[in-house]
Amino acid sequence: MEEIRIGVYICHCGFNIAGVVNVEEVAKYAATLPSVVISREYRYMCSDPGQDLIKNDIKKLGLNRVVVASCSPRMHEPTFRKAVADGGLNPYLYEHANIREHCSWVHDDKELATKKAKDLVRAAVKRVYRHEPLVVKEAPLNPNVLVVGGGIAGMQAALDIANGQNKVYLVERDPSIGGHMIQLDRTFPTLDCSECILTPKMSDVGHHPFIELFTYSEVEEVSGSIGNFKIKVRKKARHIDESKCIGCNVCEEKCPWKTDSEFEMGLAKRKAVYIPFAQAIPHLAVVDPNLCAYIKSDGKKCGACIKVCEAQAITPETLLKQTDQIVEFDVGTIIVATGYDQFDPSVIPQYGYGKYDNVLTGLHFERMTCAAGPTGGKILLKDGREPERIALVHCVGSRDQNYHEYCSRVCCMYALKYAHLAKELSKADVYQFYIDMRCFGEGYEEFYKRCSEEGVNFIRGKVAKITDEALSDEEKGKLVVISEDTLLGKLVRVPVDMVILCSALEARSDAENVARIFNLNRRADGFFLERHVKLDPVATPTDGIFIAGCCEGPRDIPDTVAQAEATAAKALSLISKGTITTEAAVSTVDESICHGCGRCEEICAFHAPKVASKNGTLVSSINETLCKGCGACAVVCPTGAISIKHFTQDEILAEVAALTEVS
Amino acid sequence: MAEFEPQIVAFCCNWCTYAAADLAGTSRVHYPPNVRIVRVMCSSMVNPLYVLKAFEGGADGVLVAGCHHSDCHYIDGPVKCDATVDKLRKVLHVLGLEDERLRRELVAASEGVVFARIIKEMVEQLKKIGPSPFKVKTEALA
Amino acid sequence: MEVLSPYKEATDVILEAGGEPLKLCYQCGLCTGICPWNLVRSFLVRRIMHEAQLGAVDFGSEDVWTCVTCRACVQRCPRGVEIIDVMRAIRRAVAGLGIGVVPDALRISAKNIAGVGNPLGEAPEKRNDWAKDLGVKKFASGTKILYFPCCVPSYDPDVKAVSRSTATIFNKLGIDYGLIGTEAKCCGEAIRKAGHEDTFQSLAQNNINLFTSNGVKTVVVSSPHCYHTFKNEYPELGGKFEVVHITQYLASLIDEGKLKLSKKINKKVIYSDPCYLGRHNEIYDEPRKILQSIPGVELIEFPDARENGLCCGGGGGRIWMDTPKGERFSDIRVEQAVGKGADIIAIACPYCFLNYRDSVLSMGKAETMQVKDIAELVAEAIG
Ligand SMILES: Cc1cc2nc3c(=O)[nH]c(=O)nc-3n(C[C@H](O)[C@H](O)[C@H](O)COP(=O)(O)OP(=O)(O)OC[C@H]3O[C@@H](n4cnc5c(N)ncnc54)[C@H](O)[C@@H]3O)c2cc1C
Ligand code: SF4
Ligand code: SF4
Ligand code: FES
Repeated sequence: MEEIRIGVYICHCGFNIAGVVNVEEVAKYAATLPSVVISREYRYMCSDPGQDLIKNDIKKLGLNRVVVASCSPRMHEPTFRKAVADGGLNPYLYEHANIREHCSWVHDDKELATKKAKDLVRAAVKRVYRHEPLVVKEAPLNPNVLVVGGGIAGMQAALDIANGQNKVYLVERDPSIGGHMIQLDRTFPTLDCSECILTPKMSDVGHHPFIELFTYSEVEEVSGSIGNFKIKVRKKARHIDESKCIGCNVCEEKCPWKTDSEFEMGLAKRKAVYIPFAQAIPHLAVVDPNLCAYIKSDGKKCGACIKVCEAQAITPETLLKQTDQIVEFDVGTIIVATGYDQFDPSVIPQYGYGKYDNVLTGLHFERMTCAAGPTGGKILLKDGREPERIALVHCVGSRDQNYHEYCSRVCCMYALKYAHLAKELSKADVYQFYIDMRCFGEGYEEFYKRCSEEGVNFIRGKVAKITDEALSDEEKGKLVVISEDTLLGKLVRVPVDMVILCSALEARSDAENVARIFNLNRRADGFFLERHVKLDPVATPTDGIFIAGCCEGPRDIPDTVAQAEATAAKALSLISKGTITTEAAVSTVDESICHGCGRCEEICAFHAPKVASKNGTLVSSINETLCKGCGACAVVCPTGAISIKHFTQDEILAEVAALTEVS
Repeated sequence: MAEFEPQIVAFCCNWCTYAAADLAGTSRVHYPPNVRIVRVMCSSMVNPLYVLKAFEGGADGVLVAGCHHSDCHYIDGPVKCDATVDKLRKVLHVLGLEDERLRRELVAASEGVVFARIIKEMVEQLKKIGPSPFKVKTEALA
Repeated sequence: MEVLSPYKEATDVILEAGGEPLKLCYQCGLCTGICPWNLVRSFLVRRIMHEAQLGAVDFGSEDVWTCVTCRACVQRCPRGVEIIDVMRAIRRAVAGLGIGVVPDALRISAKNIAGVGNPLGEAPEKRNDWAKDLGVKKFASGTKILYFPCCVPSYDPDVKAVSRSTATIFNKLGIDYGLIGTEAKCCGEAIRKAGHEDTFQSLAQNNINLFTSNGVKTVVVSSPHCYHTFKNEYPELGGKFEVVHITQYLASLIDEGKLKLSKKINKKVIYSDPCYLGRHNEIYDEPRKILQSIPGVELIEFPDARENGLCCGGGGGRIWMDTPKGERFSDIRVEQAVGKGADIIAIACPYCFLNYRDSVLSMGKAETMQVKDIAELVAEAIG
């Protein structure tokens, strides 16, 4: 066997490490360890000159193993693996010791931190001694992309990718694409009409030759990994014949069964057969099986729509016999853009949402101010009167540890938008209760100024209570908003007719399930977790799966669109490369020891091991493209036949032994 | 005599708890320097032998930590790890090691503060129960 | 910049008591809006938090003594500020360090408690006189339950009805219980909130020693204030025993079928949640359950009940301080009860008893509105 020659490099990271750890001492110590040929310390190992040190030493000193002690391997292990490879070695003959995040940044006792750094370096040296060269393999990447969620985020991503002539499957849960944005009336800060800017995009998506649209559908199962995901989609029964429906809406006109329209936030009704809104894409009717009398009575009652549908898109057959369909296809990358839910303020008892008719949320107000909406663009109280005073309440469910600690980022701005619209569309006085005004985006502060000019009453204070208990004649028949005006240092009671609660944006109620299906991580606040908050904001810990828009946290439309385009770029860059590198640190079976007991097959979540007969004896073998290298099989293997490359038992035992040794 | 400083070996999964320890670092949440982390790809990779090796070497406590059950990068590693740890506890019992010496925790990538707190707690608790009987033996031999 | 407070020591005490959460206050003012005082006068809770953060508290202000520690604000504060702890710390600075003035009425009660172990200034040896004719045994090791009525139900001629009813119920049901000796002192909850920490410490030590040496395992209390301090504050000082509020105890007896209420009380009863039973300890259902088990009783609710229940005005030591007419929460409550058509205001706290009794009398409503502790109602209904 060739002689092992190890080079050790201790990084100062400026003062980040050297300020706490005595790097000279650690380097000197490393030089005394067996097989270490050279040990150096350097100010910034990740810099070009730092990396050159390694490359030159490999060439000049004949190093065949390298250890760098610096920041977290999650940050720079790839950098140094590449340096090692550039120096002519197999990149896996490298080991990383984390003496910044796990040492100098969390300890202040210099002596003990230095001792810890020595221990970590010693363990890395013992481990690298046992490293073997590994080969990274290439596999083809399926160029098709799955986009989940047809809000502005999903649509934008789908269009960007499809415009590059790549196939996109867009799966939307609702009967139409559009998401929350199509419910909005005008959008801050420019006040352009949401419908006007969005419907062209929706129609592009609907007609794009490279987009296959599944609405009223949900992804049920995802298996495989980057480059080759297998997708199973449930296409719910619309109970109409999609190929025949021309979207004339006669069925909805004639259907006698009504319920609250989801799209209109309950401010209008829809029927049991309906088209969710005028610009719906696809423009097809859908039957609500929980409301349709024909379906519920098994064809005995009603059937009004069947009679009027000239296109014969609704028939007894479609109503009673149509079932959900399962569609399967393969893609190489996935973009998740499932958006947000509006927080339900009825859990805040003192605000009276659900109890008082005229306490509403932002989305209600959006529908009300919309010219095509249920009130024809008029701001109206439940009883049809116009309000004389409107209160806008900020931070409802946001910035509050009892509900959501985070700031929902858009509410200050949409509250300002409402103040402006209230002025434009009614004669009402507006009282805006805020804690801090957060107007950070392009044109946002200017918009704040504009609303101030228009004469909005700003009261700095978090609303304590909304009540209909009057203490004076002026308050009779009104909703009284109680808050401290913290700038005046006075408690104020403002009698108003309408209260708009600027409700938080929160993670979808089914985010946990979606996370499970797509193997995403969630933050403590419930939104999906990005791989790195600053440097990898749309990737997830699962290769090949990206996230865009509000499913990653509250944000406005400009940020959502930018993010969606970022995910498209990520997918396109993978597609243009065309191949993926597979995990090298996977499991292997020593066939001479394996009994073929099948324990590995049972435990593996990815179905990588398979036991089969080989030359008459049962042995296990590993499908390396499926294996993710978690190592669970090696733990349960009773014979020790399985080991994980780069994390072999021998290596980890050596590392543990080195860590517990007394230096 | 100097105060007893327990030695802890922590097996942390790459995706969550190792990342949590990184986060403790980037957010400068301090904790006692008694712990040495071994990076494993998943908590389900932790072989009972590794833990026993740590005790044999003289560790006073071992932490086996990984993702919360729904967060694992490899779907259900934590369940498998729980099973390993349950078995291990029986072995430790036979060996006469106190239950507190082996700790199993679920620490998400976002929980840097939790990681630091666990290490603090472990150090305090191990100080209370004193050095591992194995360590005493090894030292007596030396 | 002007030096805000010369009392650095006091400021440090407050900052320490407020701890990390005080630093988190972002001055939203929700607390001011929630605080019941602002129904009757201005009390800017938020401003006090800011003054505390900056070390600029006005120790001479009457605001130091205003908070009734009802927890309404703490329950809703978006940043989790322990506002009551801050209020208490300010009072501690005044009472302990001698900055500012302690209100006269409070000073007298504090002196009484420190001197004779009860705020009323009554003789300690008379503490158990209320039970003289009821044949209640003295607690001895092995007795199952210690009944501890604390000061007001032991001495106040009206509120004695609470302790006497409780003993009557226990006697009827043959419960193994006893009273502790007259060395017992006030539980100390309220005087602690009023800033007299040393007094509290010595009261607590006295009671803990007494209970421990007598082998007390379970204490049943009539006052939510005893409940709170026994349960949440004594354990840190070494006092560990099971604490049960009388409403919890009676409700469990009903559940087990041991307590049967057969006599009808045909009245509309409105229940007022005591802050220290409700918001402080989240006991809302048991008292209601008992009232609903009384045949004939129609239980009705205040407009603000349970978590949002209005304080009677007696917490945080306010029970010993004068509250001018027009600022009494209990007056508002009585008004509301009348509005709802109630015949009886049911309470479960001796301080509520005192405040509602006074309100009903001073408002001239004694003819039409009764104030009764739940124990009294149960004693009547038991037949
Ligand atoms: C009251 C209010 C007013 C606002 N006003 C403005 C404004 O004026 N200007 C501005 O810039 N921003 C505004 N916003 C923010 C704006 O709504 C968001 O930035 C934007 O809608 C985010 O788009 P999205 O695609 O990420 O999410 P969404 O719009 O929520 O879209 C997500 C889509 O995914 C679908 N979906 C969800 N789960 C699944 C699943 N499991 N499978 C398949 N499909 C699924 C949903 O049906 C939906 O169609 C406002 C927000 C609110 C609440
Ligand atoms: S409610 Fe809490 S955060 Fe708001 S001002 Fe009061 S103490 Fe501060
Ligand atoms: S505890 Fe009650 S009285 Fe005291 S400040 Fe808070 S709400 Fe006001
Ligand atoms: S990856 Fe963290 S436990 Fe499996």
